[in-house]
Amino acid sequence: MKNRVVITGLGIVSSLGIGVDNFWKAALAGHSGISRIEGFDPFPIGGYRSQVAGQILDFHPERFLPPAQADRVDRYAQFALVAVKEALADADLGLSREDPHRVGVFVGAGMGGMVMGERELTQLYQTLKPHRVHPNFIPTITLNSASGIVAMAYGAKGPNLTISTACSSSAHALGEAMHCIRHGRADVVITVGADASLTPLVFAGFCSLRALSSRFNDEPTRASRPFDRQRDGFAMGEGAGALILESLPHAKRRKAKIYAEVAGYAATSEAYHMVIPKEDGADVARTMRLALHDAGLAPRLVDYINAHATSTPVGDAVEAKAIRSVFGKQTDRIAVNATKSLVGHTLGAAGAIGAIATVLGLSTGTLHPTANYEDPDPACRLAGLSVHVQERSVKVALLNAFGFGSNNAALVLTKYGTRL
Amino acid sequence: MATNRPIAEEVVAALAQYLRRDSRSISLSHHLRNDLGLDSMAIIELLYKIEEVFDLQIPDSDLPALTTVGHVVAYVEKTRSSDSATSRKPSPPTPKRKKT
Repeated sequence: MKNRVVITGLGIVSSLGIGVDNFWKAALAGHSGISRIEGFDPFPIGGYRSQVAGQILDFHPERFLPPAQADRVDRYAQFALVAVKEALADADLGLSREDPHRVGVFVGAGMGGMVMGERELTQLYQTLKPHRVHPNFIPTITLNSASGIVAMAYGAKGPNLTISTACSSSAHALGEAMHCIRHGRADVVITVGADASLTPLVFAGFCSLRALSSRFNDEPTRASRPFDRQRDGFAMGEGAGALILESLPHAKRRKAKIYAEVAGYAATSEAYHMVIPKEDGADVARTMRLALHDAGLAPRLVDYINAHATSTPVGDAVEAKAIRSVFGKQTDRIAVNATKSLVGHTLGAAGAIGAIATVLGLSTGTLHPTANYEDPDPACRLAGLSVHVQERSVKVALLNAFGFGSNNAALVLTKYGTRL
Repeated sequence: MATNRPIAEEVVAALAQYLRRDSRSISLSHHLRNDLGLDSMAIIELLYKIEEVFDLQIPDSDLPALTTVGHVVAYVEKTRSSDSATSRKPSPPTPKRKKT
């Protein structure tokens, strides 16, 4: 017998605010978390083609974490720890009351500990003193440092995994966490997406890939504009989202508040190109169909899509084409929004942050606006997109996430307790 | 660094090196994508090389117009002549790495 899997706690660190209440209030107001970058000391921002990002400017880890813990991890892991702390409190899940062997931690991260990574590399080449590389360098940049540190912080001794599939990392983490619980390997999985790599080298690398918006350097809040005719690339972001997944029987036993159910998941590869999506959208469409099949739900039941929608010219058009091929004539009655229009593209955190927006949409019936959707691009027109809040009683949501490396993920999230 | 060779020759040489093919098989009318088989990532890599050879910075907004070998050559010629015409003006917001 397979277990049903539900979401019982949420936590977030985002450029729209730290904490779910702050995030959601700003999201519903359609605020943009994108701001101008002052510079990457010692590099003036004028040397970068893109000069805007979804930066978290007021993050003080010591307000949330014990100093000894905060000091020993990179910024992305600090974000993860803060988001997890909120999500566990929201779920009212005391780990001391749980069997620690039945609690897992799955983290999706694309870049990992690049803040320390770049600092140590720079110092090594400047000082030419290999013996002065910091002893905590390797533990910090190891890509599973966040999943390790979260488990240690709470004594979670179940499966502990880091999934790195670039921009789809945490959507995959959510899907794999769901499978882990569905198949009985854990009762609870603390699932996180986290990335914080607004660093001189990584940001320059994305600029060189010509992936970032540069048209709105003087109007940062307009830079992230999925599906809009003026879009010219994504606005890079940083942040973390945490979701507590648990088996339905476990959640019921402890009378937990249930936000939504994770009903289906699919992961595929296009096996095509490291950074370019295949323009026919066939594998993206296949991924959505497989996730719905996994959930046992027909496409006609979907009433909300949280799109991957990074605001790149090709990516958004491919996704819209794929959506239309899966849903046909039903497409234009489906509500659609793009969380990246608000916080930019948070890379490995994007799936988890999008999932939080989706879960809140399902549980409240209020869907956040797609910021800057002012001039719909005919190449990817979807009637369900709006620059305004949408009040819709949605029951079945699809979350898309695609990543460099030619990979795709789709999740089906459903409103808990409704008959489908 | 650019030599005294004509710009067209330099561009074709950079392209030939990138594509690992004979420069005589590349003409100005060749379309980067349709004739030479460059995908969008390969075009970005080629232009990265062109930026290095001619000491340029090509803004994102200029990319869509660079679709043929001839477009790239004309672009480099135009940018270099306007660079030398404005060389006594104050530095632009994105200063170029001057090697001379």
